[in-house]
Amino acid sequence: MLGSRLRHERWSAKGFALLLLWAGAAGAVEGPVIPGAIDGGVPRVEASLVADVDRAAPGVPFTLGVRFQMPEGWHIYWKHPGETGLSTEVAFEVPGLQVGSLRWPFPETFRSPDGFITSYGYGGEVILFSEATLTPGAAADSVPLQATANVLVCEVDCIPADLELTLAIPVGAEAVPDAALRERLESFAPRVPLSLERAGLAVRFEPADAADAGLLRGSVLLTRTSGSAPLEVTKDFFAPERFEGFTGVKLTPEGEGRFTFEGRLSPDGLPQSPEVVGALRLGSGADAQFVELVFAIAGGTADGEDTAAAATASGRSPGAQETEGGIGWGWALLLSFLGGALLNLMPCVFPVLALKAYGFTRMVQEGQGRVGGHAVAYTAGILASMLVLALAVIGIRAAGHGVGWGFQFQEPLFVAAVCGLLIAFCLNLFGVFDVSLGGEARLAELVDARQGRWKSAGEGVLAVVLATPCSAPMLGTAVGFALASGPAMTLASFLALGLGLAAPFCLLVMIPGLARRLPKPGAWMQHFKTVLGFALLGTTLWLVWVMGGLVGVDGMGRLLAFLLVIALAAWLFGLFQYANARRTRILAALGAVLVIGLSGMQLLRFEVPEAGADPALSTSLKDGKRVWSEEAVQAVLAEGRPAFVDLTADWCLTCKFNERTVLASDDVREAFERHDVAFFVGDFTRRDPAIAALLAKHQKAGVPLYLLYDPARPGTPEVLPEALTPSIIRGALERLTPSSG
Amino acid sequence: MKQLISALVLTTALVLPTAHAAEPATVGKAAPDFTLKDESGKTHKLSDYRGKTVVLEWTNPECPFVVRHYKAKTMTRTHAPFASKDVVWLAIDSTSHNTPQKSSAWKKKEGFKYPVLQDASGKVGRAYGAKTTPHMYVIDKDGVLRFAGGIDDDPRGRSKSPNNFVTAALTAVVDGKTPAQQHSTPYGCTVKYAAEGS
Repeated sequence: MLGSRLRHERWSAKGFALLLLWAGAAGAVEGPVIPGAIDGGVPRVEASLVADVDRAAPGVPFTLGVRFQMPEGWHIYWKHPGETGLSTEVAFEVPGLQVGSLRWPFPETFRSPDGFITSYGYGGEVILFSEATLTPGAAADSVPLQATANVLVCEVDCIPADLELTLAIPVGAEAVPDAALRERLESFAPRVPLSLERAGLAVRFEPADAADAGLLRGSVLLTRTSGSAPLEVTKDFFAPERFEGFTGVKLTPEGEGRFTFEGRLSPDGLPQSPEVVGALRLGSGADAQFVELVFAIAGGTADGEDTAAAATASGRSPGAQETEGGIGWGWALLLSFLGGALLNLMPCVFPVLALKAYGFTRMVQEGQGRVGGHAVAYTAGILASMLVLALAVIGIRAAGHGVGWGFQFQEPLFVAAVCGLLIAFCLNLFGVFDVSLGGEARLAELVDARQGRWKSAGEGVLAVVLATPCSAPMLGTAVGFALASGPAMTLASFLALGLGLAAPFCLLVMIPGLARRLPKPGAWMQHFKTVLGFALLGTTLWLVWVMGGLVGVDGMGRLLAFLLVIALAAWLFGLFQYANARRTRILAALGAVLVIGLSGMQLLRFEVPEAGADPALSTSLKDGKRVWSEEAVQAVLAEGRPAFVDLTADWCLTCKFNERTVLASDDVREAFERHDVAFFVGDFTRRDPAIAALLAKHQKAGVPLYLLYDPARPGTPEVLPEALTPSIIRGALERLTPSSG
Repeated sequence: MKQLISALVLTTALVLPTAHAAEPATVGKAAPDFTLKDESGKTHKLSDYRGKTVVLEWTNPECPFVVRHYKAKTMTRTHAPFASKDVVWLAIDSTSHNTPQKSSAWKKKEGFKYPVLQDASGKVGRAYGAKTTPHMYVIDKDGVLRFAGGIDDDPRGRSKSPNNFVTAALTAVVDGKTPAQQHSTPYGCTVKYAAEGS
């Protein structure tokens, strides 16, 4: 606007010289400076009308603005003041003058000293301006421009001010620009936010599950359509302007062009098509770009379900349609229970169950006794650990991070600790050392001894620790539903899971006569123990591989070194365990603990690289499979190709099983080729907020998650069940809209 | 065994209530209870007003918005039609440097009858999320918050007859109904809270 006017004028050297003289003589065209908000004799705001022309020509647009100046510490407000204050109002009243909308440079953010109350506005100096044009036919020599400004100026106290501003602008056939004021405007004009199109950006909103009924959460994703706008943000980057249906909105940066959105829902509900509008500052300093961010709060449902009703009624934003459908809380608890029971068959948990059963049969057949107490202790151990797990998940989710089932295996120290535990357990089974306090332990003693019950409880805790990375088929849906329904449901679901996990063993105890059916003790039991030890070793091997995926080959090596130290310490402990002198025994125990502790501190230092930072760390992708990202999927869909998304993790056995059997089978691969499906793999081995958000969107607690996107319906993928079979995949592919190509 | 179970029960019992205590006042939920002294030293407890409709008005006589409303007698005129319907009006001043003497002098000057509760520590203001003066809350007979927000839709005080949201809310609440509009954008000066922790 400012530059284009130059092309309208015809210059001659003489004219140019005259202009300089004129400019020098007249100075910037500014109306009288009017003081306002007088506070003990001191004005807290001064305003004047300014124009960037020394002479206006009818029909030729020029810039007309109001310049506000405030003393240090005082500020006026933006068009949306924020939580307090009053927006600055400027009204131009000039017949014969056409004025465009007022332009507002990107505001500063002001906070009360404790950060409780936020507002937006301007301190120091600001010019709010519009494009103005004198209607042709104005005959006068000069036009008396008038404007009123209504402001609230605040520091700690607030003072309102009504200012009457005037400016007489000479009128002539040719407009004469005012260089001084144009320069002044240069510090404000670029800070006026541009529309998304002009900034070369596109925005998308993805709803997530809500943590509770009062909030609507989601992700806002910015992508470049052209140009090179920066996508990082610095402090105070967003000023919300309109957010009907919410009492407040917040954007938190999560990475390049990605933000978490949190809106407090108004009790009056959302309007028909809710939209959020605000000003965004990308980048910082001289390269900062200012954009008017506008995004619709869309639910992404295929049948146009009313977002407002869904959001306020259930407190959850509608997620994508699922072929399995949503489930009620009663079903969720039942599924959690059954899933827990099924977990006993998973290779992770089976050794513990088998050991428990083995110990139990010995107890029953060597002498009766309160075996019931052991069952209760085992159950209590399981429930206690499930409670801790549930509280941890609730706490972490309340803190805003997306975690689901199996999240603890994204933490290398945890994996290392579990490996150490497993090795120790395994060596105990091999007979390298015994877990007892003095004297050879006889199982019969353990029946009544308190340490026996604590051991049972400990085995319950171990069962939970090992169960988590295993995802039984029904677990994902049940736990995902629970996590979306809030803390109380999460707690209930986890506890139901624990009961399911403990159920088979309790059944063994409760059903009379069942115990007697188990094989009689004998030498075979020693061999069985050794076999179970190997099973544990196998589990450890798998976890070491997971560690490799988490922290790389070096970290894997360190873990192995640590396990070696544990094995050595265990052997030494076993050697001196039954020494005659009590002091030797205690020294042996202390020595083992010390050695393990010291080497642990030295060796167990892991650095988890950022998710996606080094693709070589995760399992290498072969067969034309691509790394998942929301943009890549949408790009492929835009081309008209269907997309299959496989969310997996190294520590998820169900995922790996499906990948190596079903997804790798010939007829499935052929079917994918025939339908020209693009295969995307999302690796959740390490924390990844984008994958966590996608899981939450489909109400799943953890991996695996299989999505089939039809290009005709890019927003609503078909969710395939965790228990994948080739016929399920083929059936889903048949349901795709036939492509025209 | 018994120790384990009692430990489990205790942990659960401790976690759930704490999680609730942190939530600020929300429309549709129970309004946070409080005990505050007014400018004459008399103690007021919100739960004592159970059975009556209560209006809370966050105020600060130094704020131009409050000054304008008191000049127009907005608060008294909003309260008057409901005074006989068991509606209690409580003004609360959470300004950190306010004193009971200042409130008392202001009350005498303006000539209104309702008490000005002293919340200089700002605890009650924060519990209600009061950010502006004025900021209005309407609580029904059962102690549930039914309306929160600005008193009307006219922050600049230009309209001769602005849409008074508190009047509309009170009309509904005294009849046992939910107000058609349960939230309006609050406007005014910032509540001048004391620094956190003091």
